[in-house]
Amino acid sequence: MHPVLQGPLPWHLDHAGGDYCAACHGGDRDAEAAFTAHATMVPPLAAPELACGGCHADAVARADRYLSRAVASPVIREDEPGAPALSIVPGQAGPRRPGVDRALAALVIVLGGVIALLWRRGATARPWVTPAITRPLIAGALLGVVVAISEVGFGRPLAASGAFDKLAAYVGVLLWPDRAYYRFVMPPGVTWQVWLMVGVLLGALASSRAAGEARWRWLPDTQWGPRFGSSRARRLGLAFAGAVLVQLGAGIAGGCTSGLAISGGAVLAPAAFVFMAGMFAGGIPAAWLVYRHPRSPR
Amino acid sequence: MTAILAPLLLGLAFGALLHRGGLTHYARIVNVYRLRDLTVLRFMLAALVVGALGIQAGLSLGLTASAPVPLTALAANLVGGIVFGIGMATAGYCPGTIVAEAGEGRLDAWVAGFGGLLVGALVFAALQPTLVPALAQVGAVGRVTLAELVGASPWLVLVVFAQLVVIVLLLVRGRATG
Repeated sequence: MHPVLQGPLPWHLDHAGGDYCAACHGGDRDAEAAFTAHATMVPPLAAPELACGGCHADAVARADRYLSRAVASPVIREDEPGAPALSIVPGQAGPRRPGVDRALAALVIVLGGVIALLWRRGATARPWVTPAITRPLIAGALLGVVVAISEVGFGRPLAASGAFDKLAAYVGVLLWPDRAYYRFVMPPGVTWQVWLMVGVLLGALASSRAAGEARWRWLPDTQWGPRFGSSRARRLGLAFAGAVLVQLGAGIAGGCTSGLAISGGAVLAPAAFVFMAGMFAGGIPAAWLVYRHPRSPR
Repeated sequence: MTAILAPLLLGLAFGALLHRGGLTHYARIVNVYRLRDLTVLRFMLAALVVGALGIQAGLSLGLTASAPVPLTALAANLVGGIVFGIGMATAGYCPGTIVAEAGEGRLDAWVAGFGGLLVGALVFAALQPTLVPALAQVGAVGRVTLAELVGASPWLVLVVFAQLVVIVLLLVRGRATG
């Protein structure tokens, strides 16, 4: 956890559930260099009606309460000797418990035995090395390399949904010009995330052209037709509704399949595994409802 | 220049791998929720383990001081995941595969996919002031990793995680290939 969120300042404790730093401190969240990111910083709670008004109607009164308590508490400064580092290093933040390490080491041995048993038992009984199984495994493993390069080399998750938040914000700031969300959390911009998605579009185009699979079409190739027929409007309607829910869910959860489940899972953050559990808890009943229909293909 | 070229190159690889892995198909995405085609599960688990090994190696070798850790807020992660799963099972999309499907020439992704994502982002923005503070009250753990949470060596946690993934992959081998 960010050290400041465990520090003595009550505002930080009360708002530890979100990433609201820029709401009070200003700065440019999307700047690449530290200098440009920090150039536009402001004194905290300088304009409470802007910073807090998006969520709290009584912004000024709340800010006064926090300010009076903040003055009385010691403020941690990053540049002071001995101050905690502001970046998060997995495995180096909390206190270490040697007992847990010993228990895990024992678990490693037990799981190793389970793997050996499963490997032997299935070696001849079931197919294992078929293209349908190995292709997604190899492509997934290579995506893992891309995720590691993105996080280690550039300090960024490989995220998809954020790009659409950044683009929709161009409309959002017109609809809600005073929202703290658009001022500080999600200002519009053609950022890293957006260029990443331009790359995905071109990458899939190149790969599908090389495989001879790129062509214009309105309906999915398999399974859709037998269940839903050839109506273009029906496909667009259900696809639109699903895409709205997907983006809404990613906003609530803090990321999507790539940005939260894969990139967050790769730093072993609990958030990723809770999100994946939610995906199946929502997806399995929804898919059952969709395919419960008697005309459904098997 | 790096700010455009680096994400473009990473995205090119990301998009090509989504296509090569076979994830740009309505049926593939929906059928993982019908437990009939585990392609998506295999792809994700392989990416998770290799990504985790690469990131932890980068940290241990000192190539980077930190990696971005998403916020664990149990209620928000779970509710968001449920809404996300319902959408995914309805459309057969997730945000990344919509972009990749658009690259393949799928017009439903261009029209309904992109349109839905942009409208969904605005719906979230409209609900954000009420929804986010309410959900953040329940189970807000912070930006932590499992190793930090239990106070263990990150490498040991990673080895156990990799073993569990291998066990899942062995249990589902030969099954549900679509």
